[in-house]
Amino acid sequence: MSRAVTPAEGEGGPALDALLAAIADGSERALEDFYRASHARIYAFALKRLGDPVAAAEVLNEVMLEIWRHAARFEGRSRVMTWVLGIAHHKVLDLMRRRGRDAAHEAIDDSLADEDTPTSFAVLAGADDAVAVRRCLEGLSDAHRAVVHLAFFEDASYAEIADIVACPLGTVKTRMMHAKNALKRCLESLGAGN
Amino acid sequence: MNEESTQTHPDELLPWYVNGSLDEDERARVEAHLAGCERCRTEVEYLSSLREQVRADEVAAPGELGLRRLRRDIRAERSRQSGGAARRHWWTPALAAAAVLVITIQGVMLMNMPPEPVVGIQPLGADYEGVVVQVRFHPTATEARIREALQSVNGVIVDGPGALGIYRIRLVGVDKARPEAVSAAIERLRARSEVVAHVAGE
Repeated sequence: MSRAVTPAEGEGGPALDALLAAIADGSERALEDFYRASHARIYAFALKRLGDPVAAAEVLNEVMLEIWRHAARFEGRSRVMTWVLGIAHHKVLDLMRRRGRDAAHEAIDDSLADEDTPTSFAVLAGADDAVAVRRCLEGLSDAHRAVVHLAFFEDASYAEIADIVACPLGTVKTRMMHAKNALKRCLESLGAGN
Repeated sequence: MNEESTQTHPDELLPWYVNGSLDEDERARVEAHLAGCERCRTEVEYLSSLREQVRADEVAAPGELGLRRLRRDIRAERSRQSGGAARRHWWTPALAAAAVLVITIQGVMLMNMPPEPVVGIQPLGADYEGVVVQVRFHPTATEARIREALQSVNGVIVDGPGALGIYRIRLVGVDKARPEAVSAAIERLRARSEVVAHVAGE
């Protein structure tokens, strides 16, 4: 029933392209195949940001319905998954707004002056620790978590991430810098606490 | 404080060096820098571990349960759009009936698709099918051009579009027993190559 997802598994670039074209032609069968090939990644993206499996499943469903209705809108200017994750990004923000969470307010972290944090031994040790990393990721704002997930789970380029979250290239890089430094500080403090 | 200015370290690019998405120039630049910079090599080590942990975090996706939910929602949407009509192609019996009536009007084709389903009209003869060809139109063909193409062969849409965009067209007034008439009609459709992507007899 539920399954663990391997990052970027079943990318099958050409396969997703062909399925999307068939979906645009009205093939429900193609939509089902598309779901199976991509749903785990869409769900993972939503879950990492919303922290709630029910909400993430709702986003997944809405993304698939959007693909069903508007497959013909895909212009082939990006990879299919980039387009799909862009839709997912909007759905995540919509859901957060509906539930009274203001993503814009959370992103204020971006403007905080951020000193380059050295990579100490404690940081390296912490980065090897799955539990520590997960905890520290949860402490990030939504905007930072999104960039980290897209960069490391999806292996997206910074240009693709800018596409997906609809922000300038510079902002993507800045967010990543802040995120990795914030994670270092968190891992450092967890290490110091041991 | 470092003597080296932080600008010399390609800090901004390192995460994307680690995930393999940099272009050739950027990658070459980073690798050249890493060869002589321990600070950045340590940074790469940190980012690689981070990436490993992010990827190792197992997520239990909704799987088939989510697919069932999706199917349900699509069915619901479909029946909302067709106004709850029981038949998938409400216009088929109506069009077939209209086509049969029109044959008698001096052979001039009047494609008059009724806005409401005309209930109760049955096609003449249980197995009246006549000559049917399968046509796929170009995605950019306009309705006016499709209409013209069909009218040029006294064609009536009796089914479609299927999953692949294939329509079944009845060639009204063409006798099955006259293959040359059938071929002529097919050729006339083929000639409109900007409108008709594919046509074949059944």
